[in-house]
Amino acid sequence: MTIFGEIAQITLRALLGRRRTLLMLLLAAIPILVGLLVRANARPGPVDVGAFLDAIVIRVVLPLVALVFGTAALGSELEDGTAVHVLTKPIRRSTIVLAKITVAGTLTAALLVPSTIVAGMLIAGLLNTRPGSDPITATFAIGLGVLVGSYLYAAIFVALSIVTSRGLLVGLGYALIWEGILAGLLPGSQVFSVREYVRGIAETLEPSSIESIVGSSAVAYAAIALVTASVIASLRLAVYEVRGGE
Amino acid sequence: MSGPDAALVLERVSRWYGNVVAVNDVSFSLGPGITGLLGPNGAGKTTILHMLAGLLRPSAGRVSVGGQVAWRNPAVYRSVGLVPEREAVHAFLTGRAFVEMAARLQRLPDPRAAAARAITTVDLEGAADRPVGTYSKGMRQRVKIAGALVHEPPILLLDEPFNGMDPRQRLHMIGLLRTMAEAGRAILFSSHILEEVERLADGVLVIHAGRLAASGDFREIRRLMTDRPHTFVVRSSDDRRLAAAFMTEAAVFGTELRDGRLTVRVAEFGGFTRAVARVARGASVSLFEVAPTDDSLESVFAYLVSRR
Repeated sequence: MTIFGEIAQITLRALLGRRRTLLMLLLAAIPILVGLLVRANARPGPVDVGAFLDAIVIRVVLPLVALVFGTAALGSELEDGTAVHVLTKPIRRSTIVLAKITVAGTLTAALLVPSTIVAGMLIAGLLNTRPGSDPITATFAIGLGVLVGSYLYAAIFVALSIVTSRGLLVGLGYALIWEGILAGLLPGSQVFSVREYVRGIAETLEPSSIESIVGSSAVAYAAIALVTASVIASLRLAVYEVRGGE
Repeated sequence: MSGPDAALVLERVSRWYGNVVAVNDVSFSLGPGITGLLGPNGAGKTTILHMLAGLLRPSAGRVSVGGQVAWRNPAVYRSVGLVPEREAVHAFLTGRAFVEMAARLQRLPDPRAAAARAITTVDLEGAADRPVGTYSKGMRQRVKIAGALVHEPPILLLDEPFNGMDPRQRLHMIGLLRTMAEAGRAILFSSHILEEVERLADGVLVIHAGRLAASGDFREIRRLMTDRPHTFVVRSSDDRRLAAAFMTEAAVFGTELRDGRLTVRVAEFGGFTRAVARVARGASVSLFEVAPTDDSLESVFAYLVSRR
């Protein structure tokens, strides 16, 4: 097994603790449960798949699940001291960071892409979806946006967990305050919002799925954000100082 | 030791956290053999070990390990093994899986065999296939040591390695570290227990309040520690007469009678303990008790720092 694979494997096992897994499964089930409720109570009139998935998955569940996995992948190990056993090996710091981002992103995507698609299909199965839209294509487009968003959020939250020991709190502030409030009030600030990138990717793939401000530039923005977060995380880990000294 | 043979070198190294100075202008160089880093809790031992292990940046000075700068240099870990004080090991891993992981991360050609050797070395075969979460403190300590020496590094850094070990495990570990030192390895371990260092180390570095209080051969340090001003409390059949008799002794520079207790301040431990019986006999006084009052390790370290 490669060094990358070794670190990824141990990270995966550490992240799949019983309580955390259960909590994340519950979070991932929310879009499906709400989708079932909507379907059960469907009334005549258009149901917008894009708006539904945006409100439940993109705004709430995606950043929360990525936050938990992203900050735990490395941040928890730095906090409890287990990371020292990896840090004191002749391994490039970028390898450690990329393995952590890959695992946190993959776990987030593994839970949320199926959840997004199942929830979207439940809505798309209704007869009275928005006229002129293709709800199934829209669902898959948003699913792909969520896939990219999972890795992007994971990279940002892994980087945050190295930069600050309060990664979970700062990440929550980013998701709730920046993306939830400020990015809606400050014109132009949406270009620094992962949520907008997810919407932009979905819109690029299926224009009727969802509206975004960044549009097709979302792919470029997302790529830049992913690389920037990974580089910052690697550089910060290279100068990371262990706590617990006298 | 100094020069190219030195495995571990600190040159005028300081480390501070904000306004707090954890390590203050410390220099030493060590070669093969076992050296004890002795000092009370909070003296700066862990900070020094972490700087040597490249896990902390020195605020000033230079730290080198095996001829390489330790900070921001992961390549140094090919020749260094670190056993941290914190017990943290993933609880879900078996001891064997943990050591094999260390071997694979070191890119050893046969990680399984290397891990088996390291597990045998620390006498953990019986528990190797159990999850680390079920281990006692001493077993966790040993599995960390196995992980640190799986690549047979020429330099081994151990932070309080005997914590949690029972006497049998301590003896085994002392034997193991001695064997490794005889094979030419440089071993630096920290401890706040004088007897531990005395039993194991060839050389000693005494750290107190971030400063190097003494360094060198253990017997020399031991002499410095004992030949220092001491205070004794003495109980006898006639304290007043005994106090007057003590004042004629060169080793004694003060006596005090207070609350029915005779306190004697002496220039050095050995001289006084040799003289006390003779003086009492000469004064026809019976001794009931002679007890040093300030023999805590803290006071020993404080004295060593003050005389530098």
